[in-house]
Amino acid sequence: MDFDPFHPDRAVGTARVPDAPQRATPPVPVKIIVAGGFGVGKTTTVGAISEISPLTTEAEMTMEGLGVDDPGQASGKTTTTIAMDFGCVTIDQTLKLYLFGTPGQARFAFMWDDLVRGALGALVVVDTTRIDDCYPAVDYFERAGLPFVVGINTFNGQLGYNLDEVRWALAVRDDVPILTFDARFRGSVRDALLVVLDQALDKAMKMRSS
Amino acid sequence: MRYQADPDDPDHPAAPGVRPFLRDTNPGGRYSPALPAGTPSFGDHPFGEPQFGDHPFGNQPFGDAEPSGQATSLRPFVLTSGRVDGIDPNIGPETQVCSHVGALSARLSPEQRAIVHLCGEPLSVAEISARLRMHFGVTRILVGDLRAAGHLDVHVLANDFPDPETILRVIRGLRSISS
Repeated sequence: MDFDPFHPDRAVGTARVPDAPQRATPPVPVKIIVAGGFGVGKTTTVGAISEISPLTTEAEMTMEGLGVDDPGQASGKTTTTIAMDFGCVTIDQTLKLYLFGTPGQARFAFMWDDLVRGALGALVVVDTTRIDDCYPAVDYFERAGLPFVVGINTFNGQLGYNLDEVRWALAVRDDVPILTFDARFRGSVRDALLVVLDQALDKAMKMRSS
Repeated sequence: MRYQADPDDPDHPAAPGVRPFLRDTNPGGRYSPALPAGTPSFGDHPFGEPQFGDHPFGNQPFGDAEPSGQATSLRPFVLTSGRVDGIDPNIGPETQVCSHVGALSARLSPEQRAIVHLCGEPLSVAEISARLRMHFGVTRILVGDLRAAGHLDVHVLANDFPDPETILRVIRGLRSISS
């Protein structure tokens, strides 16, 4: 392949590696976090809308996790492995949406910084029978300034509490949307994500005008 | 015997180039007993080339909970020559990675070679990690190494919050998904 330093393609941007042959330009990735306690339906949520079946990547809990996840003196175990599920939706050739499902407990917060960086927003999945599972995630996203939406997964179309009671229990600001959705259905998950994106758009508009 | 999770351990110092487990006289003995017969592992072919889709660790989940306390796999930090910190914090799970054409002819570790194999088409770091069943942190360090060596294009984005136009495109794209 001839190397032409003046080829117009090479003049675009400074990140291009000079000797790299032409390859398909990768899509710009954007991501939404799906957080929640064990068994609330994070993987179901991701799987309902993802075009690939959810993949699992593992991360090792390191020193930061040890204080709260102490395995005890007798155990030789120094690390704990946690799983993170993810899926994706191709918006078009240049844009791809990733969904990362992550455990919502405080002891997994060490990996949230990586996840949240550059994220559009978060959907906090809540099971009303175990509502306190999601408190750390809500705390974290509030502090990180990440737009988030509380989505109550109605497993059987039943809701034990009304939304006002849930809002009272979570003590979230009035501008944080609380909605119900069914993680098994694509349309329901899509609508919940659209609410997250509305919040993200609000934030992006505010950032632009300021 | 198992490695301590301490990169400063004088017995297993971080030495780029020669990975610590290769200096072990019996690299298979530490973990192969716990593997089912026929499971591919480093002990069986320490210098072999991994096939596409045949990741170097066999099928055992990494760092699986083992009540017996027996080590069943290489400790993740061994693959990274003892490093535990990511090189570039901007490499996130969604970061797109693409290998250079010439990278396969380079001398690479089996794990790095597997990454280069996978990334003929742009792929996210999370997908690499999931398909090779390597820890995300390990994958991130190896991807950083491969980029430093000029074998991979890593498309690091500015960490700014996406602009409204991008978000509107995502909204339009999601709306077009039928339920």
